[in-house]
Amino acid sequence: MNAWTKISQLDRRWVYLAVWIAVIIPLVFPARFPISITPEARQLYNAVEALPESSVVLLTFDVYPNALAETEPMARAALHHLFRKNIKVVTLTTIPLGGPSIAERVTREFATLYHKTYGVDFVNLGYKPNYASVLKGLSTSIEAIYPTDNSGTPLKQLPLMQKVKSYADMKFIFVVTDNGIIDYWISIVNAQYNIPVGAGVTAVMAPKQYAYVGSGQLTGLLGGMKGAAEYEELVGKPALATTGMGIQSLVHFLLIALIGLGNLGYFLGRRRKEGTA
Amino acid sequence: MRTTVPLVIGFIAGVIMLLSFFFRTEGTLIGTASEELLIWSSIIAGFSFLLGAASIIRVNWRQISLRKPGWIYNLLTVIAVFAMMIPALTPKGWLPESLVSLAGRDTGSIYDWFFTYVATPMSQTMFAVLAFYIASAAYRAFRARSAEATLLLITAALVMLWRVPMGEAFLRTLNQHLPEWINTYVMSGINLSVQRGIVIGAALGAASFSLRILLGIERTYMGRG
Amino acid sequence: MVALSAVAWLTICSSSLRARDQPPAPQSAFRFDRINALVAMIVFGGAVLLYTRWAKQGKPLYIRKLAGLDAIEEAVGRATEMGKPVLFIPGIQELDEIETIAGVSILGRVARITAQYETPLIVPVRYPLVLAAGQEVVEQAYRKMGRIDSYDKDTVRYVAGDQMAFAATVNGMLMRDRPAANIYMGAFFAESLVIAETGNAAGSIQIAGTAQPEQLPFFIAACDYTLMGEELYAASAYLSHEPLLLGGLKGQDLFKVLLVIIIILGIILMLLGAAETYLSWFKIA
Repeated sequence: MNAWTKISQLDRRWVYLAVWIAVIIPLVFPARFPISITPEARQLYNAVEALPESSVVLLTFDVYPNALAETEPMARAALHHLFRKNIKVVTLTTIPLGGPSIAERVTREFATLYHKTYGVDFVNLGYKPNYASVLKGLSTSIEAIYPTDNSGTPLKQLPLMQKVKSYADMKFIFVVTDNGIIDYWISIVNAQYNIPVGAGVTAVMAPKQYAYVGSGQLTGLLGGMKGAAEYEELVGKPALATTGMGIQSLVHFLLIALIGLGNLGYFLGRRRKEGTA
Repeated sequence: MRTTVPLVIGFIAGVIMLLSFFFRTEGTLIGTASEELLIWSSIIAGFSFLLGAASIIRVNWRQISLRKPGWIYNLLTVIAVFAMMIPALTPKGWLPESLVSLAGRDTGSIYDWFFTYVATPMSQTMFAVLAFYIASAAYRAFRARSAEATLLLITAALVMLWRVPMGEAFLRTLNQHLPEWINTYVMSGINLSVQRGIVIGAALGAASFSLRILLGIERTYMGRG
Repeated sequence: MVALSAVAWLTICSSSLRARDQPPAPQSAFRFDRINALVAMIVFGGAVLLYTRWAKQGKPLYIRKLAGLDAIEEAVGRATEMGKPVLFIPGIQELDEIETIAGVSILGRVARITAQYETPLIVPVRYPLVLAAGQEVVEQAYRKMGRIDSYDKDTVRYVAGDQMAFAATVNGMLMRDRPAANIYMGAFFAESLVIAETGNAAGSIQIAGTAQPEQLPFFIAACDYTLMGEELYAASAYLSHEPLLLGGLKGQDLFKVLLVIIIILGIILMLLGAAETYLSWFKIA
């Protein structure tokens, strides 16, 4: 086996080590680069910016704990934007594993920051099983699906929920998700009840959502940590996603270099082998 | 009987849900029926979690009782199941005032503590492993063996560069408008149309499969046919 | 063409009714604004039933080769020779997802092969209803092959509810049991690469199929064979070679051809600047 062939068949543990180094370096020596805004992120920002004060937005935390690195910065940037504009926020989740806890933790933190009162400025509805019935049911009556909020308080006792009875009382739905539920928000909610839906999704899911943005079924899109960094830039609150861009940049460069090296090893190794044969 | 009854139930429920799309939900029999079916399915899904809990306990208990290799991990699994389940389901009224905050699923409860400080970091660790796995998969599998593969690799490299600020800065040194061209012609052009094709194909496949299930032609999911 | 004409006529009728200066009529129970979807559904259903009928009458139906599905029996054979188990995952979604039902259907076919060869089968699942369906399907497969004595109730096992906990458990199974063949058929998300790459490291032959387009690149990189999108739904018909099921596939293809014609017509009209009415026929209210 010649040297080039050995390179093309490198033990994966050397690759893991290279990735580890590429992640550690920007953490130890952080660097910031200007974040340019994609039209899709700007479309989402503009849609929320155009909402009148005191309108109601449904912010969903349809996220599993594992993808929080990508999705939580989006939700946080969204809450900066919504609370700053004095928009009322109703949160819910279709993910039982942690969705309610994540929503509770993040909204409470921002409520303290922006001096918002629970029940008046924001409400966390929590989780209910069977997303199809939840998404359809909210079109008729929120109280029928969620008689109480996430903490068990009857909705009748929450002033905000006296004004918000169904989708008709909401101006926008901001879906933050890391799974296929976005397809149902589009096909069930946007398609059938004509309420604009914007999405923040993981980077892996973003390419598929371009089709929905193109057809107007999605009003704006944030894709992965870059999308979160764009929204942080737009709201003027650079945070975790912006910091993460340095790490992601170096790892992307590393991946391109590794693919190049692998191909070089493959082709030169094959040529050497054919040469000696 | 074992085959016919589920098929009939499936047919009736499927037809109701299908037709409910074409009728108003308020004040129509079919609308009311479809809403009831959705509630029933929520209840069934809730009960099914009992099945899962029973299965996970039974499978792991068998490994523990037979002292199979690694039985200590099975024991940890069973302990973890009960450690989260019992505090979460304990009614707050059963506990003294000082311990009330530990019950339920609110912030500060035992369930929330396990979720925030044990389950979440472990989940995120597994997700983070993807970064290493994609690097090794890309290094091993992404070979420019054909013209199409070469084109794919070049496009992938351009998109990877476009997606990060440092890469975008590099692309702008080649051409000031290159990142915008990638967004317009690659992501919103080629990618968008290909995604639409795959999604339409998959949706039609799903619709055909669903129709076959509805009509009882496809029965393999029941173990019949 | 008949369907298109019907949609056009109904849309024109409803538009002209709206244009008149009349007080709005009371809302009818039937949603006439969704008539185009009803017509599409009738055309689609008709195409599927037509080909199913032709299949029943014995008309030969051609289906192109799907290498991934042809490889399943070969993969199980490899596992039998090596004395190693086969791992099958019917996706990580609930049973109400059509991909999971497709995965469970394929599981039934694979279970028949493993029953025939007496190869151990491991099926980790993420949801209790999938557990119940999977157990039923595998048991029936073993019964059909006359091998009910070799059926182990714990072949299909509920391992975890969390996505990454499921992936971690499966990874453990892959590294400890070293199955010779891994078959992933259903809906997968972020854990797809975690599982597939570990399976690759364990030296298993891997066959994957999913209708989640974002996971396809990962499966293509890490697996030996990949089924894309609708190929997953075609698998059950392909493996069984049952004319009724194949007829359904052909009917779906006919509707796809109609869609392509509609799209091309729309592009031409858009270029001519005369597509407004045509596009309105396909809007769903």
